[in-house]
Amino acid sequence: MKPSASAEGEHTAVYFDTVTKRFDDVAALNAVTLGVGRSEFVTLLGPSGCGKTTLLKLAAGFLGPDGGSISIEGKRVNDIPTYRRGIGMMFQNYALFPHMSVADNVAYGLKTRRVPKADRDKRVADALALVKLKGMENRKPRQLSGGQQQRVALARALVINPTVLLLDEPFSALDKSLRTSMQVELREIQRRLGLTTIFVTHDQGEALSMSDRVAVMSEGRIRQLGSPVDVYRSPADPFVASFVGDNNRLRGQFVSMQAKQAIVALGDALVRVPGESLSGLEKSAAVDLFVRPEQFDVVAPEEPCTIKGSVVAQIYQGGHVDLQIECSGGAGERLLVRSPGEQAVLRWPMGAPVGVAIQADQCSAFPAA
Amino acid sequence: MNQQPFLRIFTAPATLCAVGFIAAMVAVLQYSLRAYVPGSLDPGGFTLANFADLLKPLYARVFLDTVVVCAMTAVVTLIVGYPLAYALVRVEQPILRSILLVIVVTPLFLGEVVRTYAWIIVLGNNGFINSLLLSLGLIGKPLQLMFTPFGVVVALVHVTLPVMVIMLAAGLSHIDRDYSRAAESLGAGPIRVFLTVTLPLSLPGVVAGTTTAFAWTFSAFATPQLIGGGRVNMISNLVYQLGFSSFNFPFAATLCVAGLALTALVLGLLQLASRPLRKIEVH
Amino acid sequence: MIPRSTYQKVLGWVGLLAVLVIVAFLVLPAAVVTIAAFNDKPILSFPPQTWSWRWFGRALAYEDFRQGFFNGLIVTAWSSTIALCVGGMFAFVIDRYKFPLKSAIEGILISPLVIPHFTVGLGFLILAAQVGLSRGFAVVVICHVILVLPFVLRSVYVSLRNLDQSYEHAAASLGAGPLRVLTTVTLPLLLPGLVSGWLFAAILSFNEFTASLFVTSQRTQTLPVAMYNYVREFADPSMAALSVMYIVGTAALIAFANAFLGLGKVLNIEQSH
Repeated sequence: MKPSASAEGEHTAVYFDTVTKRFDDVAALNAVTLGVGRSEFVTLLGPSGCGKTTLLKLAAGFLGPDGGSISIEGKRVNDIPTYRRGIGMMFQNYALFPHMSVADNVAYGLKTRRVPKADRDKRVADALALVKLKGMENRKPRQLSGGQQQRVALARALVINPTVLLLDEPFSALDKSLRTSMQVELREIQRRLGLTTIFVTHDQGEALSMSDRVAVMSEGRIRQLGSPVDVYRSPADPFVASFVGDNNRLRGQFVSMQAKQAIVALGDALVRVPGESLSGLEKSAAVDLFVRPEQFDVVAPEEPCTIKGSVVAQIYQGGHVDLQIECSGGAGERLLVRSPGEQAVLRWPMGAPVGVAIQADQCSAFPAA
Repeated sequence: MNQQPFLRIFTAPATLCAVGFIAAMVAVLQYSLRAYVPGSLDPGGFTLANFADLLKPLYARVFLDTVVVCAMTAVVTLIVGYPLAYALVRVEQPILRSILLVIVVTPLFLGEVVRTYAWIIVLGNNGFINSLLLSLGLIGKPLQLMFTPFGVVVALVHVTLPVMVIMLAAGLSHIDRDYSRAAESLGAGPIRVFLTVTLPLSLPGVVAGTTTAFAWTFSAFATPQLIGGGRVNMISNLVYQLGFSSFNFPFAATLCVAGLALTALVLGLLQLASRPLRKIEVH
Repeated sequence: MIPRSTYQKVLGWVGLLAVLVIVAFLVLPAAVVTIAAFNDKPILSFPPQTWSWRWFGRALAYEDFRQGFFNGLIVTAWSSTIALCVGGMFAFVIDRYKFPLKSAIEGILISPLVIPHFTVGLGFLILAAQVGLSRGFAVVVICHVILVLPFVLRSVYVSLRNLDQSYEHAAASLGAGPLRVLTTVTLPLLLPGLVSGWLFAAILSFNEFTASLFVTSQRTQTLPVAMYNYVREFADPSMAALSVMYIVGTAALIAFANAFLGLGKVLNIEQSH
């Protein structure tokens, strides 16, 4: 684990120390501890109601914690109001002041900081150049497209050199193609400026593609904190496994432990899976295996395989083909299997009997709940 | 296939009402152009003399007083109503909100007479305020609060306050909270947030509220009649007096027409002045 | 608690104080009237030396008040119901349809909001005389319908705006004709808006004073007119007692409306998130 994740170190920009927040009697955040390193891009990912937005609002000062403390740059900010925190924030609907021009919107934070006019004008111009909006200074927000509005919101948040940039689902209002290019652009600017950033989203694709680290949240807790690859490859628990990326859950029975690997029975077949989280299980205890769609190999039914079944749906996705395979003999369980390229469309037609092999060393296993 | 079912049936009664109302207004207009025959309820021939009479100092004075009272009431109501509207929108606890709402809305439905009567008791020479001040020894003899423009404006502010608060609150409640949050995140303190974001965005509500307060005050009758007691005369009082004391309905009608023109002028100017505001788009 | 600087806290307290003062100003007349109503003496004095309920009895027994109350009920029942039907139907067509003179009719029906009531009253008084209508209930009711119509129109129109038309489309797709859609889908969904519109209209009509003063006669005078005449002639606390009953009744009605209909929604002042 990185030092910043467990304790507040000198490279920590924002630190949440066992932060608790309740609304009425419901705990929105339950003793959450999270350190965000300087210049780091950390994403809070989770379904709605998981507490990610609450955590962001606590960092911004729109809410105060019921327990624990929050520090920014080593300074406890529990009692510091928003306007003295030196943060920059982008809102879901941008919240561009509708009665001000683009330039006035961007200059707003500089005016509150009493930056002299000449300097202010220059910084506004630089910020607008940074987000490629030169020449738009005198427009009103409603005269801009969604993507342009977002750039203004970004410029407005960046121009004040915030200690930390807070992003509240800023891409959710954009259409898909624009979203991707804005994501790349934002990440580039963030890297160039070395800005500490906390990003909130419910979109796991966005989280994986943009972040240095991802904090997967659910029910007011951080379930896993790690790099996108960690979170995708080695989920810490069944929730993370099923929330991040597509996953198939297969119920099996624990057989034995060999070195660090566990032998699990899936029907008649035995598979060897990573066993860290299964140590101490009794024989024939129920085990859930999480297998990504791309961790299956579809083979002819007579070849050696783990599961037998037949194709019930073909979903052509362009670069790959998703197959739904109904397991034979089982209770109609369906597997989502991803096959690269397009050959699968012809090779495994609807209704065709197939065998499915598992790349078991890649999958994750947890004791069944 | 009829694409607009019920159109005729549903429009007919409303059209009838509109026609009836127009007929009543045309009747006023028509009477304003007729001569007054003293001692008779029927008007004489057509004339413009009534409008010439409007310029007499006595009547011009009433018009001026009316406009001054209306303008003062509208402005005071706005200043008093804004904090209350703000509180109504921002209070979080549902119970407190409901109490505030009922307190604000109830006077709206009490009617002018009950409220004016209550103010007579508050402002009268042996009323609440004077009794209180006398017993505290702050004054030696009762203050003259009744029959003064001050008393009339205070009571009128009370009459127009609910509608002002409701209109301001409607404006304020439609301002996305993220605007003030954004301003705060950019380093603006509470007063700056209010002056640069909340207030400008609530201006459409301010205009609507002020307009309505002006129109309502213009329409008030019982308050200036009972609290002004003849010493503060508004157009409404003059119209009633002319109609029911001297049966001079033609001139009463003329005053109504002139009053309408004046209202239209003031409201038109307010609309014009607030034109740039309409460009503000509040989500 | 949201983090607040001392400066913000002080501002908050100042604001709270201002709001309390304003609320006190709003409540003051009602409070003072209540004290006055229980004063045993017929002459106003603060604080009252002796207390009594007797003015309540006097107010309830006073013939003009009784007559005014029942006249008011008659006028209110007719005018609010007629206004609800007329306004409800018209709100429906302005929400849904385009037709000639639409905005003209709408403008005319909304205009009583800004036209002084004494002008409206005088207009109907003259019109009634011109068409030879005696000063009976009909004129009063018509006048009240015109005056409360803007409120009904707005109330129903807002409910119609918030009504998802896909319910009606769904009913139509299932084979319901326009009349069946209207009676089985639109009207039931619109019920809260209709009730609040009717309630609005009824309260406003019952309280309408200035125009009523012009169009009522001794025989048809409504309660506010009777009260006005009483205040001009007498100074005893009967009127205070009646005011207290009025205030309590109205506040109860408003609180009821708030609990069941959500005044915040009706008045369109709910905070958007």
